[in-house]
Amino acid sequence: MLMTDSAGTSDAVDLSVDLAGIRLANPLMTASGTSGYGTEYADLMDLKRLGAFVTKAISPEPRKGNPPERTAETRGGMLNAIGLANVGLEAFVRDKVPFLRALGIPVIINVVGHRLEDYCTVCRTLDAVDCVAGLELNVSCPNVADGLEFGTDARRLERLVATVRREVRRAKLIVKLSPNVTDIAETARGAIAGGAEALSVINTVVGMAININTWKPVLANRTGGLSGPAIKPVAVYMVNRVYTQVARAAGIPIIGMGGITDWRDAVEFLLAGATALAVGTALFVDPRTPLQICEGLAEYLRARGLRTVRELIGQLR
Amino acid sequence: MLRRAFSIAGLRRRSPGRTERGAAGDTGRGGPAEIDVIYRVVGAATRWMESLRSGDFVSVLGPLGNRFPIPQGKRRVWLVAGGVGLPPMLWLAEALHAEGVHTTAFCGAQSASLMPLSLEAGVSPDRAGAQATLAAVEFARYGIPVVLSTDDGSLGFHGHVGGALQAFVASSPPAGDELVVYTCGPERMMRFVAEFCAARGVECYVCMERAMACGTGTCQSCVVAVHDDADAEGWSYRLCCTEGPVFAAPRIMWERA
Repeated sequence: MLMTDSAGTSDAVDLSVDLAGIRLANPLMTASGTSGYGTEYADLMDLKRLGAFVTKAISPEPRKGNPPERTAETRGGMLNAIGLANVGLEAFVRDKVPFLRALGIPVIINVVGHRLEDYCTVCRTLDAVDCVAGLELNVSCPNVADGLEFGTDARRLERLVATVRREVRRAKLIVKLSPNVTDIAETARGAIAGGAEALSVINTVVGMAININTWKPVLANRTGGLSGPAIKPVAVYMVNRVYTQVARAAGIPIIGMGGITDWRDAVEFLLAGATALAVGTALFVDPRTPLQICEGLAEYLRARGLRTVRELIGQLR
Repeated sequence: MLRRAFSIAGLRRRSPGRTERGAAGDTGRGGPAEIDVIYRVVGAATRWMESLRSGDFVSVLGPLGNRFPIPQGKRRVWLVAGGVGLPPMLWLAEALHAEGVHTTAFCGAQSASLMPLSLEAGVSPDRAGAQATLAAVEFARYGIPVVLSTDDGSLGFHGHVGGALQAFVASSPPAGDELVVYTCGPERMMRFVAEFCAARGVECYVCMERAMACGTGTCQSCVVAVHDDADAEGWSYRLCCTEGPVFAAPRIMWERA
């Protein structure tokens, strides 16, 4: 047995949260791209005890991804440029959905594309899959049409979300915001105006590492996304910025992410304004991290005489 | 911060009062075990490992990935190791010894000081590379002779391990259908060995190394390009962590790997 029985259902402490109508038994989720399609970690953690499971990004067609090197460890974090390698929509529905359905917890699918139609195709198909509770749009990919990221311009983002919105009837529409912008509150506003029902804050921070022997970038893609504890203060700030400037007034919940490694980090994100929490890079070190955070969170609430985790959300003084 | 992948150089099961050697491929599941890890200090993590003392607590995730296939019906095996590619060869040597397979090892390093083997007293390795001798304790204990080579000529054959392989073949050519070659080490060296074997119709397995973040198939960092007839473009990426690290050499697409 990998974990104790207190996670998620600790006596007298209620860890459940409501994410835009998706009921989570606890706020802990996996971050997209760090836990595959679920089967990879099945032997190492009890996935059923997560608040929700978030898949790696799905595109309409299979993608091989970038050549290696694809990742590089940096101080307090890591860079990645996997290139959104995935099995493609058809194989995902055929081969991966049955396992996810059997988990019995809310499943959120991360969706990626290079053109507007890509997002529409994936969302339309997956909206019809019963176990899919939410669709998380990854908008940090460059649009092949104009070479610009969907996610760095508020008006382009609003158009993307509004168009996808028309394809999605049942699942909740979540937009994952890029931190690589001047003011994340602007893109958050665009996403909400387009019809986003929840926001994931934040995606990875663009970075680069250079090999001083070869004078070349370490990653074959030259740049990559920085994740891990190194970006946590950036993420906490941005969650709070989006919460106070846009999301609180609009009644839109935030999934906080960026370097969450232990329950103390989780408390920070909740106080900053996050309703749910995603663990990413820390899973690579220990897949049990989200469940350990649940235990720590329950302990923290108990020690402070709080009855529910909801009493922490947005309570930053 | 991330875990690092190490190959297993040996395993001993531990039960109350006694310790016994585990067979190669034994997962050690079902009880405490000792595993051997041989490493070179290259950075912060290996410096930390060097500081560990007996009784220290270390978190280990494993065993992960596949293993070398033990040859069926082949009478001779060559192990070809370069530098820190040696450790998995030691456990394989033990397993082959247990199977009674006639084995010869080739070990190359940059120089004598970086050769990760203990030399047998009074036995000097052949400088021409044409003879295998019981020069290394780690292999001698299984009766396996070794051809040692160093890039700077400070020990054994002067040149890389591929050169030693050629010198050895010139003096005692193998029958291709009797032989299996296993190799682990720098990619350029493994490619040389793979092509050397392909040219002679010799079965060959390579143990690939890739930077990994998770080791369990989720992060998709550790891709190896392989020929793949099922793919429209004729090739695909395979994960070194779950589908490797051991691959049949002809599968590897070296120009992309």
